[in-house]
Amino acid sequence: METYFLNNEDIPKFYGAITEVYDLYVPVKIESSVAPACQSSFRLPTADYLLKNYALLDKKENAVFNDYRCVEPTRVFFTYFKEEVCSYFTDKAAQEQVDGRPKAICGVKNCDIFALRIQDYVFLNAGEEDPLYARRRQNTLVISGDCPSFKETCFCQAFDIPAYPAQGFDLNLSPLTHGYLLDVDSDKGRAIVKSLKDKLSPATFGQLSGRSAKRESVRMRLDEHLIQHKIPKKEALQDIVLSGYASPVWQEQMRTCVECGGCVFMCDTCHCFLLSEEHENGLNKKMRTWDGCLFKDFTRVAGGANPLKMRYMRLRNRYLKKFDFFISNLGFQACCGCGRCIEVCPGKIDIRYILRRLYEEKYLPAH
Amino acid sequence: MKKNIYQPIKARIEQVIPETSLIKTFVLKPESEFSFTTGQFVELSIPGVGEAPFTPSSDPAIKERIEVTIMKAGRITGLLHEMQVGDTLGLRGPYGKGYPLDKFKGKDILIVGGGVGLAPLRSLLFSLFSRIQDYKSVILRYGARTPNDIVYKEALPQWGTKDKVNALVTVDVGSPEWQGNVGLVTTVLADLGIDAPSVQAIVCGPPIMMKFVNLKLLDIGIKPENIYLSMEKSMSCGLGKCGHCRVGKYYACKDGPVFTYEQLKDIHDIWD
Ligand code: SF4
Ligand code: SF4
Ligand code: FES
Repeated sequence: METYFLNNEDIPKFYGAITEVYDLYVPVKIESSVAPACQSSFRLPTADYLLKNYALLDKKENAVFNDYRCVEPTRVFFTYFKEEVCSYFTDKAAQEQVDGRPKAICGVKNCDIFALRIQDYVFLNAGEEDPLYARRRQNTLVISGDCPSFKETCFCQAFDIPAYPAQGFDLNLSPLTHGYLLDVDSDKGRAIVKSLKDKLSPATFGQLSGRSAKRESVRMRLDEHLIQHKIPKKEALQDIVLSGYASPVWQEQMRTCVECGGCVFMCDTCHCFLLSEEHENGLNKKMRTWDGCLFKDFTRVAGGANPLKMRYMRLRNRYLKKFDFFISNLGFQACCGCGRCIEVCPGKIDIRYILRRLYEEKYLPAH
Repeated sequence: MKKNIYQPIKARIEQVIPETSLIKTFVLKPESEFSFTTGQFVELSIPGVGEAPFTPSSDPAIKERIEVTIMKAGRITGLLHEMQVGDTLGLRGPYGKGYPLDKFKGKDILIVGGGVGLAPLRSLLFSLFSRIQDYKSVILRYGARTPNDIVYKEALPQWGTKDKVNALVTVDVGSPEWQGNVGLVTTVLADLGIDAPSVQAIVCGPPIMMKFVNLKLLDIGIKPENIYLSMEKSMSCGLGKCGHCRVGKYYACKDGPVFTYEQLKDIHDIWD
């Protein structure tokens, strides 16, 4: 990995170099008025970031560096909500599916990178690669960034996921006062850097130390913010979801679930889908649509039997999948602490609270 | 170009054999040779309409044709029942793990089927019959609701006459013409004259039947690691990706659809 320094005023050139090859998506800030509460009395940010196509921005200056993750889960760039995965048995030549130019995503955070490991495991699984996912994953330029701040709902660090990426990106930006440190960790990234050579200088020891200090300060503030939530350590997760099978927390928490599916669709580590068939213009198509285990018919079989009949069973199922299935099969949990599910839920169902309850019921039964 | 994992091949319907009022066997001729091991499943699609998983009921040694026995139970199976000879279906697979025939060698094999659950077991029986010298004995216990619900009515009586094979059919509710046994399949599992600790028991049928058969098998001393259960789970992709078929830390489409009771015994609510 190489690290350079890029001046603030050269950022448009940086974007420019990327748009030579890629369709670039950049974070755009949107204000929100809801001030989140924090017992540690930090003034937590209220704004959000949405990813927009840079070429289509009216004002290029609206492209900003995001202080924390964007609203959209990163997986929206790799599997689409509903899309054709193959067409078959037709005399017409199957339309070659083209995605157009490859995409570059700016504003990816370390939680998103962690989540991509889950998506990769599912869709790139040896020998059974999903062709669409594989192609997009290969062609997409991932430009990540450190988080100089965090949202109320961020809890990556509770699972030992730092608020800055160390790997899994093509390029990474760490904000300093007058510019950014730019880490380069792939050939795709190097190609961009090459075209910017005269704008970049090798990172100095002082700049690198400055970055370390900033990262450490965020780490301490986030730790302090997380104390109030008492989120169990990642090592305890599998154990508490298994032993908490009969916990009252599921029944209690599902009461406000309206089965909107927000939690599963906004989640960057959720990956479930449903295959269906369509017939259009003489083509038989297999379609893949995002699905989620919070929906009533997710596990219904042809005869009508459904192991997850009740809402509380489906809520529990989501946790078993994330914290039992994935830990058993992949060695880590399918949750990156991005907090998107907390933010989206109209029922105010909070994963931090559920995990804490499961932990306390097991280890602090006096509560 | 790399193979698209979702792409089906063509399979032409060559013959449709009615088994009962709700069950038909479809003889399919895939456009190219199709191999599977007994117990694995396939995805069949009505092009542009819908897709569903089935376990072939035919002899895996035959590569030119596969047979699938289908009970009308929902939208797709209903539509499949209306398909005619000459129609083309989509075929993907095979998926999952088959029965571990190697582990069965030298043992008494007890096969317990219920209703249309005899379909995958027929494929297993063909595999066992073709190397019957490898096994100590094959005992089949098959239960159907009424005599009219029995599948493979013609073949069944012949199986029992084979060397080393002992077959018994029972129905929950008899009829005036029915001469055979009446009673749940769980009532014909005692006094089998077998060495329980080494018996390999294979069960396939409706969940409620499997639940009680499993209890009975444990009761007569068969070991949890020697009981093989076919788990019916909602499946979509068959590829370990869509997430629909999770059973505890397993996916039925990858690690199953056949599981030993040992694998399942600590998972909650497996029969629901
Ligand atoms: S976001 Fe909340 S209300 Fe919507 S399905 Fe998920 S848990 Fe239920
Ligand atoms: S479960 Fe919630 S916090 Fe965890 S990855 Fe999914 S959306 Fe983020
Ligand atoms: S059927 Fe899709 S994961 Fe098993």
